Amino acid sequence: MSQTLRLAAMLFRAYLRDRSALFFSLVVPLMLMVIFGNLNLGEFGRVSMAVDDQAKNAASEQFVSTLGRIETLDLRRTGSDEALRQLRRTELDMLVVIPEGFALAPARPGQAVPTITVYGDDARPQQVSVGGSILNEVITRTSFAVAGGAPVVAVRDESVQGVRLRYVDFLVPGILGVNVMQLAVFSVAIALASDKRRGVLRRIMATPLRPARYLAAQVVTRLVLATLQVLILIGVAIVLFNVRIVGGVLPLLGVALLGSLLFLTIGFALAGWAKTEDQIPAIAQLITLPQFFFSGVFFSKNAAPALVRPLTNLLPLTFLNDALREISVQGASLFDVRGQILGLLAWIVVGFVLAVRLFRFERF
Amino acid sequence: MSAIVSVRDLRKRYGDIEAVRGISFDVEAGEIFGLLGPNGAGKTTTVEILEGLRRADGGTATVAGIDVSRDPEAAKARVGVQLQQSAFPEHLTAREVIELFAICYGVRADAMRLLREVDLADRAGQRQEQLSGGQRQRLSVATALVNRPRVLFLDEPTTGLDPQARRNLWELVRRIRTAGTTVFLTTHYMDEAEVLCDRVAIMDNGLIVAMERPRALIAELLAGGFTKPVVQQQANLEDVFLQLTGHALREDQ
Repeated sequence: MSQTLRLAAMLFRAYLRDRSALFFSLVVPLMLMVIFGNLNLGEFGRVSMAVDDQAKNAASEQFVSTLGRIETLDLRRTGSDEALRQLRRTELDMLVVIPEGFALAPARPGQAVPTITVYGDDARPQQVSVGGSILNEVITRTSFAVAGGAPVVAVRDESVQGVRLRYVDFLVPGILGVNVMQLAVFSVAIALASDKRRGVLRRIMATPLRPARYLAAQVVTRLVLATLQVLILIGVAIVLFNVRIVGGVLPLLGVALLGSLLFLTIGFALAGWAKTEDQIPAIAQLITLPQFFFSGVFFSKNAAPALVRPLTNLLPLTFLNDALREISVQGASLFDVRGQILGLLAWIVVGFVLAVRLFRFERF
Repeated sequence: MSAIVSVRDLRKRYGDIEAVRGISFDVEAGEIFGLLGPNGAGKTTTVEILEGLRRADGGTATVAGIDVSRDPEAAKARVGVQLQQSAFPEHLTAREVIELFAICYGVRADAMRLLREVDLADRAGQRQEQLSGGQRQRLSVATALVNRPRVLFLDEPTTGLDPQARRNLWELVRRIRTAGTTVFLTTHYMDEAEVLCDRVAIMDNGLIVAMERPRALIAELLAGGFTKPVVQQQANLEDVFLQLTGHALREDQ
């Protein structure tokens, strides 16, 4: 055991001096987090709504100013032509057209009520549906006010999510997951394949060292690296973006290391399969890229086409990201995410079998 | 003198190619033994079997009293190796490379003493990948001495080195032998074998075709009536080269 640890310490020392490896395992993930964290890509927060007030009377003014007081709406006055152009460029979620002769008066039987036309961006259905609900709500309340009645049913709003979910809160666990994957798959596969081609492994195998110990030292080194990577990323997320890890850092780290172990087995399998390290980036991309997009790193995994969703739900990174996110955002305990942990363990078994089958110190 | 390496009817085939076709020889303790032959003769295969890196298909190989095919781990612990086309992990200093191998062999080693032995003490803190070819070859020999081996295997140790670095390595090999370690080397440089080896075996097509002291082999050839056009010459081009450029080692940095 101490031989393995001393070996790991030596490998770790070498790794820390490898500038390009450090760049990819630390600087790139930090860049990703800072850039995407500031983009606030998926912030649902507000619905951008344009109003084309063709009536320009007291009633329409009153109606528009009521809408303007609602915080969820990012309201602007824009002509229909311009607003429709913006809609097509998805710079706008909705357009509300208030017709000429708009009035707020009790409707008399047989008389037509003013009709408001609403355009919505199909690409942002959630925003459009929320905007639509708000609009209906405002119309209902206005109607009651005008008619002098009161609603027959009252609704009390209860917020389900304790904390308002910002995009960066959603993003950070995804960034953790994807980088645990990249570090394990790429760094171990490329390093070992290069050691194999250059004859480093041959030289080490000419010593009485047991091969399993050498591999164990590699695993220990990568797990320590993954721990550092996760802690640094969480630290930056907390300092820079005020992210709260609701479920605690330790369970988060535990799940991240389980994920790291899983992707390490895949890295070893790749290193075993490849004849030179040049073959690795392509195959590693083939393995990691779909997970990058379908496992909920930058946006919800539900964005995947419904047809493939049953498959994407079984991807290793999906299990990892879901567990990390539930712990980080919803405060889940390790027991709460046992389903995902089971998924990770199942993949570890698959990866281990593959690695044992494929990894050879040399092809004789 | 007793045999420290003993090979009997050793065989190894790769698919259709019979690389080693039943060879037998002994290496005496304390000698410098050379295995010579053209590329593809089976030298490296033979050495790698003796080092415990490959399994023979037939025959026996005993090194320092251990049957290599029965207990390759024990054999590895008793020999030092310098492989052809091998490398050290990157981003480690010369000293750390020695320490790494001490860990692998499970021994305590005085890294600085070993570096002094191979004239690399002043390079202890330098990254191994920045060493020159000759320096790296000497570092390689130092890692082979970490476990105080009974036999040191050197596979083409001077390939790619300049004349100064070659002579420097020959000196090192002689010092190692004087210190009590048997040296088994392969080479395809005949001048190297002639000046360095006590005995040589010449291998061709997987068979040993001759085994003797270099002088005796030459005498035998001449006794058989061999002649070649003699140009009376007291020096050759290498002597000119060394006279002009000196014996001092040339190494970048």
